[in-house]
Amino acid sequence: MAPTIELDGLDVQLGGRTILRTLTGVLNSRAIGLLGPNGAGKSTLINTLLGFHRPSKGSVRILGLDSHRDGKALRALVGYMPETDAFIAKMSGVRFVRYMAELSGLPPDQAMERAHEAFVYVGLGEARYRMVGTYSLGMKQLAKLAQAIVHGPKLLILDEPTNGLDPPARKRLLELVCEIREASDICLLLSSHLLRDVEETCDQVLILRDGRVASICDLAEERRGNRKFLEMETCGAEPAFAAALQSLGCECGLFGNGRMKVVLPDAVEIRDVYKVAAERGVQIRRMNHRRDSLQDIFLNAMEQSGGTSGRI
Amino acid sequence: MAVYKRRYNPYHGPLTPEQSRFLVLTRYALAELFRSRVFVLLLVLALVPTLFFAVYIFLVNNSAIQLVVQLRAAGGFAVESKFFFVLMVIQTQLSFLLSCWVCPTLVAGDLVNGALPLFLSRPFSRPEYVLGKCAAIALLLSAVTWVPGLLLFSLQAGLAKDGWIWTHLWMVVPIVFCSAVWILMLSLISLAVSAWVRLRIVATGVIFCAFLVPAGLGAIFNTIMNTYWGNLLNFSQLFSLILIKGFRLESELGGPVGLEQVPLFAAWIMMILVCVISLYILNARLRACEVVRG
Repeated sequence: MAPTIELDGLDVQLGGRTILRTLTGVLNSRAIGLLGPNGAGKSTLINTLLGFHRPSKGSVRILGLDSHRDGKALRALVGYMPETDAFIAKMSGVRFVRYMAELSGLPPDQAMERAHEAFVYVGLGEARYRMVGTYSLGMKQLAKLAQAIVHGPKLLILDEPTNGLDPPARKRLLELVCEIREASDICLLLSSHLLRDVEETCDQVLILRDGRVASICDLAEERRGNRKFLEMETCGAEPAFAAALQSLGCECGLFGNGRMKVVLPDAVEIRDVYKVAAERGVQIRRMNHRRDSLQDIFLNAMEQSGGTSGRI
Repeated sequence: MAVYKRRYNPYHGPLTPEQSRFLVLTRYALAELFRSRVFVLLLVLALVPTLFFAVYIFLVNNSAIQLVVQLRAAGGFAVESKFFFVLMVIQTQLSFLLSCWVCPTLVAGDLVNGALPLFLSRPFSRPEYVLGKCAAIALLLSAVTWVPGLLLFSLQAGLAKDGWIWTHLWMVVPIVFCSAVWILMLSLISLAVSAWVRLRIVATGVIFCAFLVPAGLGAIFNTIMNTYWGNLLNFSQLFSLILIKGFRLESELGGPVGLEQVPLFAAWIMMILVCVISLYILNARLRACEVVRG
């Protein structure tokens, strides 16, 4: 199967300035997050993926199709939810989504049916006959999502989908995004300033800085790695406890006052740690998996790519 | 799937042919226009002169009524090329008024709230967007230009005797061709202005200005420089020149004041130039995302 996104030395120049510089990398996860400080080139990359900008050098392939050469065929596979306002004010919600579905090639009756489905699905069923111009910001975001999924795309591109949403609306939208991802074989590209949004929905992250790739990180792999790294606070007989854990194959570090860090081998589960503690009469007062959060990954990427971390 | 089943489903059904997909835009554009009462009123008003011309044709071809009304004695003229020339001049001016209302309505709604990226992120190109909108405008303007012209021609052909149709069949060409030229130029100018200005009301004003201000400037230029080349800025007069040639009325009408001195090829070049400039503006303004230079 072709990678979701394949960047091959991609350069994009706009208005005489180079915005994206030699982007190279393969993103093959089904849910990709796009992160970067302001001006890093996230929106330019999305616009290039959609064929709105022509690469000045290199190329980008999405689901095996060249963004420039196979623009039309590619856009038939894509659903796009832009960051900014994008609607026709004097059109009812369902008619607007139907219009977009027909432009994607659905016959009128199918488009109508899918528009109703999409509107009900995103939770705007009651408001579907109202003019889009009268919608609140949250409703407009949902209407944009409805038009992006109405034609059943293979890749859903979401540019800052939770912008301006209150916490319940944000939670609902992210749940929808996760649901869409799970319900079919659809791929997802989510650009957001909110690291938590990306963390909750994506498996792989592309971090941009100054138009360059700062990092490509596999979140799923990180999560798996984090599960085997424990931080504990214990009380009583720590050296013996540590020795017993080492005899199981764990790596232990003692930091005084009962604090210790443990790396578990694949064969050892957390319940084995509890068992050893019970045998040695050690109290485990606190136990955490190390959470190497996306924020750490992001800040690391910013530091490694040079300079101070950018504003996000 | 029933709408109450709230679950995302991919679409695996049939798709419409790509070549005809721009007509979706045309269909929606026309549907939106016909919801506007102002538009319907304008369209009806634009067809009123055709009604008068139809009545005139009926009167001219009815000998009994002619005897009573004495139409020719009252200054009426025969239904010949001049009749259709006058019809076309009136209808094209009305079509101009109609386009001033229609074009900004068609384009501004898409541009003012940023809907264009949604169109262009689908398997749909910018030329197709322009084609779809132009098709909507062309259909509407056709309904007030060459379609009534041909209907009146058919009415006259049906009522007249002595093989009138065969001796006047050539007039079908200028009726259709000149209207097509006018519609093309008007559509492109109006779309370009609407795409440039974006605000509907302002765009309507600017379209008026795009026709009237250059004409006024041309007249001033003519007066000051004692020349006739300023007429090239008067698009209505340029079109009248093409109509006069088309209806073979050079000797009869002599053209509007001063216009007889402007060569036909210059009029054509000017109209083509205006269309090219309009296309350039459309290319620059109809973009999914704007690039800030510098």
